[in-house]
Amino acid sequence: MTVLASVSLATFLVAGAAATQFRSQPLPPSNRLARAEALRQSANQLEDQNRVLKARVQALQADVKAGEDESARRSSAAQEVKAQLDEQKTVAGLAPLHGPGLTVLLHDGTDPNSSADHSLGWTIHYQDLQDIVNVLWASGAEAISVNGDRIVPSTAFHYAGVNILVNNASRLSGPYTVIALGDPPALANGVGNPDQLAELKSRNRIYGLGFSWLRSTRLSVPVYDAPFLVKYAQPLG
Amino acid sequence: MLSRSGELTARRQRLIIVSLIAIGLGFLIVVQLRSQAAVARTLAAQDDTSVALLINDLNRANNQLIQQSAVLAEQQTQLHQALTSGGADSQALSKELTTLREVNGAIAVHGPGLEIRIQGPVMDFELQDALNNLRNAGAEAIALNGYRIVGSTPVVSRGDTLMVAGHAVGTPLVLRVIGDAEQLGPAADLSASSLQTRVQVSIQRMSDVAITEVVIPRPLIYAQLGR
Repeated sequence: MTVLASVSLATFLVAGAAATQFRSQPLPPSNRLARAEALRQSANQLEDQNRVLKARVQALQADVKAGEDESARRSSAAQEVKAQLDEQKTVAGLAPLHGPGLTVLLHDGTDPNSSADHSLGWTIHYQDLQDIVNVLWASGAEAISVNGDRIVPSTAFHYAGVNILVNNASRLSGPYTVIALGDPPALANGVGNPDQLAELKSRNRIYGLGFSWLRSTRLSVPVYDAPFLVKYAQPLG
Repeated sequence: MLSRSGELTARRQRLIIVSLIAIGLGFLIVVQLRSQAAVARTLAAQDDTSVALLINDLNRANNQLIQQSAVLAEQQTQLHQALTSGGADSQALSKELTTLREVNGAIAVHGPGLEIRIQGPVMDFELQDALNNLRNAGAEAIALNGYRIVGSTPVVSRGDTLMVAGHAVGTPLVLRVIGDAEQLGPAADLSASSLQTRVQVSIQRMSDVAITEVVIPRPLIYAQLGR
């Protein structure tokens, strides 16, 4: 009897788990599902292509840098230009940096599931990241990265549906980590200033949206993983 | 009545069966948890519109990366040719230096673009949104009321005063933007549509916009080179 009971219980649990597993698999294809599946497949392929292209760009950048270094070794004229180039690369985010700074952590809060509240105030929006980055620059940040993506002169945040994109379609997903190099107390004062980021702070209280910051003595920001392409602006004079 | 050894064998068999079931159950639970986590991470959990918009952005970014690869490959060839002929290619270095100075706002530039005139008070976040939209549409250089704007230029409100890079700017706000007017136009229209309920906005396409303002880079005090 005991054996029968334990085998029945175990079979029931296995069947339950199998059923749950089956439910998490894609449903049998219909035209609509097949189209949706094809759409996701295209996005995945393009993301794979994006990674491959970024890796190719990085390899080319490394090779060009080696050529530039060699040029600088051979000619004093090239050496002079190379020194200026390195300076501009640092400003543009094409050099990795480290130093003291502030880490800002953000994550979505709790969906109130209320028919009276359709504000989506419980989620982190791209404008929140844009606002934090702006406050950090205003507080003297010398370099910033968001989830490992370096913020550079041409960086823009935007939505593609529910996805937050930055720098060459890098998809950012929460939790978000913003790293800023600079004077930690000045950066913390900027973020903590009650006049700044007031809306984000109020959503933190209402929806439990995660928003905290931490001073550090050593942080690092990565190099921007692509070169800049200027097609329309020409030097004046 | 079972013998003692028969009872032992039956108990062992039950133990083996229960163990096998437990292993199978454990395996299924792990697979289930992992597949649920994977679904949450991948695009499967997203609506079709989001995925379609992502595809659009990825196509644009990938095309840009292909163009960037071509520029780098050309630079690589020039450098290699100069090096193999025993010289050094300071011309390639100068070209790259000019591009970076343009990106960093360190030199005066000109080119096609837009002039956007905003008559009336705007808040810092409204200007930030407008600048973000323009950058997203490929703006290569931006100036506002005599100040060059780059990604690290802070825009904040101090009471009713709008501060750009620490300087107060008053109305009218005149944004000069260089880039592909076809791309910049819709981005400017988007910002204008949200502002026009309160302030007057005019957008003019121009074949040549001159931006003479430059950014003086701040020296690094805290950040140091290297990982």
